[in-house]
Amino acid sequence: MKKAVLSLLATLILWGCTDSTPTGPDVDDFDREAILVNWADNLISPALTHFASLTEELNTAASTFSEDPTQQNLDALRDEWLVSYKAWQHVSMFEMGEAMQLRYRDNLNIYPTDTVEIRNNIEEGSYNLELPSLNNSQGFPALDYLLYGLADSDTDLLSFYTTDVHADAYKAYLTDLTLRIDTLTDTVLEAWTTDFRNDFVSNSGNGANSSLDMMVNDYIFYYEKALRAGKIGIPAGVFSGSSLSSHVEGFYSGEFSKELFLESLDAAQNFFRGTHFATNETGESLQSYLLFLDTMKDGESLVSLINNQFALARQEAEGLDNNFANQVETDNEKMFTTYDELQKNVVYLKVDMLQALNINVDYVDSDGD
Amino acid sequence: MNFSKLLLPALLATTLFSCDLTNSATDSSLETPETYEFNRDGESSVSFTGQTARIKMATELFGAMSDFDNSTEELLLQMYRNQTADGGDADPYSDPALNTETKSVKSKVAASTDYFSANSAISAEIKAQFEEWISGQINEVFPNENQLAEQGVAGQIADGSSTRYVNGKGFEYDQLLAKSLNGALIADQILNNYLSTSVLDAGTNRTDNDNRVLDGESNYTTMEHKWDEAYGYLYGTSQNPANPTPTVGDDDIFVNKYLGSVEADEDFAGIAQDVFDAFALGRAAIVEGEYDIRDQQAQIIREKISTVIAVRAVYYLQSGKIILEQENPDYGAAFHDLSEGYGFVYSLQFTRVSNTEGPYLTKAEVDGFLAQLTEGDGLWEVSPETLDQISQDIAANFDFTVEEAAN
Repeated sequence: MKKAVLSLLATLILWGCTDSTPTGPDVDDFDREAILVNWADNLISPALTHFASLTEELNTAASTFSEDPTQQNLDALRDEWLVSYKAWQHVSMFEMGEAMQLRYRDNLNIYPTDTVEIRNNIEEGSYNLELPSLNNSQGFPALDYLLYGLADSDTDLLSFYTTDVHADAYKAYLTDLTLRIDTLTDTVLEAWTTDFRNDFVSNSGNGANSSLDMMVNDYIFYYEKALRAGKIGIPAGVFSGSSLSSHVEGFYSGEFSKELFLESLDAAQNFFRGTHFATNETGESLQSYLLFLDTMKDGESLVSLINNQFALARQEAEGLDNNFANQVETDNEKMFTTYDELQKNVVYLKVDMLQALNINVDYVDSDGD
Repeated sequence: MNFSKLLLPALLATTLFSCDLTNSATDSSLETPETYEFNRDGESSVSFTGQTARIKMATELFGAMSDFDNSTEELLLQMYRNQTADGGDADPYSDPALNTETKSVKSKVAASTDYFSANSAISAEIKAQFEEWISGQINEVFPNENQLAEQGVAGQIADGSSTRYVNGKGFEYDQLLAKSLNGALIADQILNNYLSTSVLDAGTNRTDNDNRVLDGESNYTTMEHKWDEAYGYLYGTSQNPANPTPTVGDDDIFVNKYLGSVEADEDFAGIAQDVFDAFALGRAAIVEGEYDIRDQQAQIIREKISTVIAVRAVYYLQSGKIILEQENPDYGAAFHDLSEGYGFVYSLQFTRVSNTEGPYLTKAEVDGFLAQLTEGDGLWEVSPETLDQISQDIAANFDFTVEEAAN
């Protein structure tokens, strides 16, 4: 009797949950490994190799400047900073394996940077850049401050590295930061060019611990938090209710936030399309996977919707001031419009695409305490 | 194991249970008030200023525990005791109004009539436990502010983009303290003190209430005030204390916050309204002298608040477990969740099973769980299996499953 009741209950419970998957190509019929190979060999490794060569040049330029702090060497160092900061936008999203262990992105690009702590570190002379509490006083945003934000004029800024009582400490801190960026990058690149690449490619099944699921989650997390929220939403005040113009990327240099943003948006779309690094060639990708599945939303191809949405967001962003801080302060509405266009792709990627690919979201917003 | 034998009574219990504790009083025309507003002669008869003050004191103490630049052991202990070490008047709070208070957090930790009036040794032990956490923060964690934490070494550890400060076993003392206060202060005072007949009906409270004899110069009867004091521990810092449910979860960092969290889990949706309704109807029943209805509401509140604590205990243990099972665990994130979980597990000894004299899990059972979490190098070593086992043992005493609490 009990058994009968139980099975009846079980039947009732299960009854409501019958799967109604439409017929069509099966997610498992696609060669997932081909996507992983394309990502590893044509996007991630070349982007990291390129970035690593630039971080080395950045570090060299910082050494040159610190040996001879002239305007000319400052200009050269600033150029290296910008070109490597742009290249960073193409690797930031790959927070997997070694990069995840190192918390690579948190070390290289937390902004706003903590200028009080930077000055404390310099003036006290003892600091351990490996401490999580010092993540916000290193990386590209800290360099932004050291190369542009210490003073209003270049002459005054140079004096921190020449005549200031702590000049040697300023120079040492600067080169410590560039060296750390370079060293961390070499560690991440090394992993991708040795064992981790093979582990990544061969873990081609499905499920939460497969490479595809994890990479796609990292990608969407990056798009949602670092790109949409970090670069646009937070400075515009989407979350706090009041705008925070000092929270833009590249705040102290003051003219590169749009350039950095557009670079990151291109990188995000390239990843979706499987575009080989620095070329127009494409390979197997999320786009080709969705095309194979013929995924539609409201009668339209999801791939078209996503690519159109990237284009719409780019179009909005191109109309913004080069300096997002200015944009926030003069006409914040345009920041909101850009944010809204970015947000639409969160839905397409995180809801529609993940459903089509049968991938679960593996992160949740923390409860904030 | 005979599965059906276990499951059937559980199912029956779940089914019957919802019919047992409804708010609709059967033998009275009393209706549940929509707001917690009660007047006498045109003036409010509701008061819970002491509870509001203690919530604020505890909140300041929690904040000060991570203020590396300004906090000392002396200051933190004063915030806990609202006294100097030799019993003199202390002014440790940043809110001047709190410095004028003579009340303290410590005096109401493990201090309920039902559980601790004749259990003074345990009460003292629990009160002292909070001081040990305060001292540990100052003496173990503060000196290692700029050290990377590792197994057996206190210091800082990354939790995503946040930085956490842990002891050598991976615990955050500020989280142990704050989350344990949910039980030791808030739940104990509500469930085992102010909602108890031993307090509500003490002395001449019933006849005074029946005859509208007021408490000194105040505009309330003693019984009314006792009930309000229970209410104040949950809603004392609400934006609108007369109608607190719209903002529940946002109004403090203690049980109000977690009632909001549990309400947001669809498996428990409605619990916030149920709790408020029980408080409001119980208070209306006191005004009408309907003590059976009053006591029915007290039983509802006991069950619901106890459930909130247990759900959060399981939730945090499971959150930590899921992180630890990953290939490259984010230890900082896991330790943060498990430090919160530790505090909620600690709080379980102060829960109250309706219509009984005791908690859902005894102090001995709770101490057993905590020993498993702190054994050896603590959170650096704890296994997912242990976390699952504790989660299941907790859930088995309640009407929810581990899965319902964890999602």
